[in-house]
Amino acid sequence: MRAFPTVGESEGRAPPFPRKGGRGGRTAARLCALALAALASVSSPALAKPRRIVSLNQCADELVLRLADRDAIASVTWLSQDPRNANMATAAAGLPANNGLAEEALAYHPDLTLAGSFTERSTVALLKQVGARVVEFDVPETFDGVRRQIRDVAALIGEPERGEALIADIDRRLARIPVDANRPPLGAIILRPNGFTVGPGSLVDEILQRAGMANLAAQLDLGPYQQVPLERLVALDADVLIVDSDRFAAPSLATEALGHPIVAALARRMKVVSLPSRLWTCAGPALADAVQTLAAATAEVRAREGRN
Amino acid sequence: MSAALIRAERAYWPLAAALGGLTLAATFASLAIGYVHLDVFAALNDVAHGRASLPALVLVELRLPRAALGCAVGFSLGLTGAAMQGLLRNPLADPGVVGVSGGAALGAVVVFYSGLAGAFSLALPLGGVAGALVAALALYALVGRGAGTMTLILAGVTINSFAGALTALALNLSPNPYAAFEIMFWLMGSLVDRSLPQLWLALPLMLAGWALLMSSAPALDALTLGEDTATSLGFDLKRLRLTLVAGSALAVGGAVAVTGAIGFVGLVVPHLLRPFVGHRPGRLLLVSGFGGAIVLLGADIAVRLLPIHPELRLGVVTALIGAPFLLTLIDRMRREA
Repeated sequence: MRAFPTVGESEGRAPPFPRKGGRGGRTAARLCALALAALASVSSPALAKPRRIVSLNQCADELVLRLADRDAIASVTWLSQDPRNANMATAAAGLPANNGLAEEALAYHPDLTLAGSFTERSTVALLKQVGARVVEFDVPETFDGVRRQIRDVAALIGEPERGEALIADIDRRLARIPVDANRPPLGAIILRPNGFTVGPGSLVDEILQRAGMANLAAQLDLGPYQQVPLERLVALDADVLIVDSDRFAAPSLATEALGHPIVAALARRMKVVSLPSRLWTCAGPALADAVQTLAAATAEVRAREGRN
Repeated sequence: MSAALIRAERAYWPLAAALGGLTLAATFASLAIGYVHLDVFAALNDVAHGRASLPALVLVELRLPRAALGCAVGFSLGLTGAAMQGLLRNPLADPGVVGVSGGAALGAVVVFYSGLAGAFSLALPLGGVAGALVAALALYALVGRGAGTMTLILAGVTINSFAGALTALALNLSPNPYAAFEIMFWLMGSLVDRSLPQLWLALPLMLAGWALLMSSAPALDALTLGEDTATSLGFDLKRLRLTLVAGSALAVGGAVAVTGAIGFVGLVVPHLLRPFVGHRPGRLLLVSGFGGAIVLLGADIAVRLLPIHPELRLGVVTALIGAPFLLTLIDRMRREA
């Protein structure tokens, strides 16, 4: 199983919350999260609508902000208040922010705490130990997984109709994007901070397919870490290069790598698309925006090919 | 003059020429070896005809800056190690061991993460030079002339850990979520995905540093006869010290600002080559520069060939070789004392 990182965890990006443990710890955490996610997907209808929801994960933030009543939300993560990196920053503004720590969550006396599979293990363990109701969510790997997750969260917060409406909205937007199934897909490769790419078997893969592209990272022997020297990415000779366009308040080596001169040089050979990672990181309607942007790039490349 | 000295005298230029040739060969090998197969000559042909083919792009934008920086940074480290060992008359003086590289990393980190380098790109290597200069001056103030090995090492340890702590602090203060995870680059160094603009930023400063250090060769040779004799031969020792400190700061500061601190090159290389130049510190400079370039290019080729991904930091490789070397050196000095 290769989960697409929630907030860019396994792509070397800062974890949304402090998280100890190395490689082994991450694998263990994922296995644990898988088991818990399976439990979480069994809906528990007997409970009343939660009134003090605390979210410790940026993707959970987005769903809670879209689905729950505002006065039922006790706290979301600080990450969701940054308009550069969050889709719901306007809605999150003014809500109490947390850094994903157990004691912060407990201070709100939550009746429902949502955590991601990359949330600090000790935080989740501690919350459970004191009897808090913690539900963990894994990162969806398919559009079906996205629908399932929206349904699960909507059920948990007692708003199943809003969940169905959100799913219908996403499906409607996706349906509007034309599919040209007769033509072979364009080869695409993704460049994210620190020279990370996105491997096969993720939601991103399905988004690429939907937009008429095939992820060339499948040709690379990536292993569990998806960090690739630029040289190997370039040598794939893709039709489309998708560059993460996240912007931060200060520079870092990780993001500087996206501005390597070879990216500008490649723009003369292939279509380079800038895409903020917030569009295709979490379950939500922004996924349709990502598909739309990429489908437009596909159409542009094909039109150019047609002329030549 | 002893027979050994005469032999070393005769062998100097052939040795320098051989090491220079090896440096060129290693630079070419670094161009030719990488993660994907690249026909260097076909790529060069494309470059010459102005064709922006994929091999040409990989060669010019990725392989060339990597090989050239490997060569120049290795030369800087080897040369500076030899010069500092001559100045402090101590075989353990190396920019990494005594904290000059750590100071350079701190200077570069402050300039880069504050965003100053984004506004004015030359600020990055200048920040590295300023940090290296402060560390070198602090070292010289602490150690002075002819201090014992113990004082030198203790001063180096102190400067290194202080600079390392401040570097970590500066990275933690950055609002960029990636920054805190980048200390490995600055403390262990790497040539991954370097670019031509970085080469053009660092190279002029390194060249200036090399010129200053090389110009001190006659004075360094005279210094082996004792300070009084050197002064009576007409060498201005105060000026020599200033030249060497400034030259080291330029060479190491420029290098570290674009590749991070890479340790032990300046320690191992001069030590290995010293017997071949008749223990003359002035003659050790150029050959140590070439030796440093060969070692660093070799290490950088090795990290790309090793089946470890993401690739090892260069400082890891040089420390794996250098640290046991330093230990045996200390052990030998202890037994000779």
